[in-house]
Amino acid sequence: MPNIAVFIEQRDGAFKKVAWQMISQARKLADANGGEVWGVLLGGDSAEAAAKAGAHGAHKVFAADGSFVTYDSERYGTALAAFCRAQKPDLVLVGATSMGRDLGPTAAAKLGCACISDAVGLAFAGGAWDVRRPVFAGKCFVDVVPKTAPAIVAIRPNAFVAQECGGAAAAVASFDAGQAGVTPKAVVREVVGSAGGRVELTEADIVVSGGRGIKGPENYAMIEELAGALNAAAGASRAVVDAGWVDYSHQVGQTGKTVGPNLYVACGISGAIQHLAGMSSSKCIVAINKDAAAPIFKVADFGIVGDLFEVVPELTKAVRAIRS
Amino acid sequence: MKIAVCVKQVPDSETRINLAAPAAKLDQTGFTRVLNPYDAYAVEEAVRIKEARGGEITAITVGPETVRETLKKDCLAVGCDKAIIINDPLLAGADDAAIADVLCAALKKDNYDLILFGIKAIDDDSGQVGILVAEKLGLPHVSTITKLELGEGTLTAHREIEGGKEIVDCPLPAVLTCQKGLNEPRLPSLPNIMKAGMKPMQIVTCADLGVTPPAALVEIRQYSPPPARGTCRLITGDDAAAAARELARVLNEEAKVI
Repeated sequence: MPNIAVFIEQRDGAFKKVAWQMISQARKLADANGGEVWGVLLGGDSAEAAAKAGAHGAHKVFAADGSFVTYDSERYGTALAAFCRAQKPDLVLVGATSMGRDLGPTAAAKLGCACISDAVGLAFAGGAWDVRRPVFAGKCFVDVVPKTAPAIVAIRPNAFVAQECGGAAAAVASFDAGQAGVTPKAVVREVVGSAGGRVELTEADIVVSGGRGIKGPENYAMIEELAGALNAAAGASRAVVDAGWVDYSHQVGQTGKTVGPNLYVACGISGAIQHLAGMSSSKCIVAINKDAAAPIFKVADFGIVGDLFEVVPELTKAVRAIRS
Repeated sequence: MKIAVCVKQVPDSETRINLAAPAAKLDQTGFTRVLNPYDAYAVEEAVRIKEARGGEITAITVGPETVRETLKKDCLAVGCDKAIIINDPLLAGADDAAIADVLCAALKKDNYDLILFGIKAIDDDSGQVGILVAEKLGLPHVSTITKLELGEGTLTAHREIEGGKEIVDCPLPAVLTCQKGLNEPRLPSLPNIMKAGMKPMQIVTCADLGVTPPAALVEIRQYSPPPARGTCRLITGDDAAAAARELARVLNEEAKVI
């Protein structure tokens, strides 16, 4: 009976949607193989979490005793490890977010268990978990099998679809998060948000990126305008970041962020292999480029061969017309 | 100040993976190998600290003897003082936890104030070893840093999070994993590459370090190529506006993504 625990990440009380995506996938596996799906909550409104988790298929939500306001690896890692020792889940899913990528290995080291990063596929066959993850930033995939129970797996946002199954609010139980005697050495003094509350690249449903074809930093506004019209995150190729036209946090590619949105719009991006690695798992790819031979068209589903300075503003207008 | 920088040699980001069908192993012969780009930020940060405050930098890697050139050019020639290569056939197929154990054994041979890693290696994209090492050594860590300021026995680091950053205070010794944006790594000069050949480079085995690598916690079943993508449908129109309107319509009505 493989029970799956899903870490329900929250910051400032806002839950990450990757939690509901993971619970939905875990419920599918539980329905096929037996076992329960448990939410694990550190801080945040447990009634709200239980309602959402239950709606997506969780059987129970375990809420930690104690206060969890800002993230630190010591307190959170101790809490997740304490939960695993007490409840003995077979598998623990965390989002492959800035928090989950840090929490997973921290808790795994405390438990001496396997930790697998950045997974995009999860199956249970022949009594073992099969975890699929991209390597070389998506140039190929590897299937790995954890040899420990529990095993911690970080799931990439948007890898699974959140599906409400009409479940009632999950029952809430509290657990001892093992915080007595834990005084973290590394302490978050302040959390600074970026201006304007933009949609974050790795979690966005739609990403609009600009490449060398935008010709200068002043033209990145055109990319941001299209992104704004689509409620999308704005990305960039390495060339644009290395030229200093936009901040590195926008970079998509093997040495930047890996994204897998429903729609990726590449504007003036030729499609160097290191860029393709970071976005080729997107569900639908659109390329706008004046060079019909650009490699980006080899991975694109739809393309316009044309001058992005003419096409992009018109596309922004057309999108606004549809959305209004 | 004593600084360790843990680095890895990886295939260049322009590398093509030619995998036609699922395979138990990935053939990596013929790949051009370079210093992991994220490790270059860790090396550069260590060198800047040494320039500002003095100290000694040790670059440590796990890998075959062929990593020597990379260590010489990208670590020693830009300011690291010595290098340790952990080279042992026992480490073939080692997973993150085993690599972390072996690095811990090497790190315990000295008293480092600061241990730096890149956020992840661009081959396996795992991003765990630095954090595992911190936990196993009982040291605090700050991952994904984009800014670092050192105080007296303390540090303040900016940690990248979705749409913002955390400003973290932490005492030394500590483990940090370095993200793009932290600094702009310098290139080695030719004279410094020549001089780097004189710097000590030690090759050690697990037995030398007194460590037995543990059995892997994760088993690799197979590698497979990414799913093939369909062909591109080119959208045209009388002018840019017409093509853009048609694209928006297709995305809305057919692909249903907007």
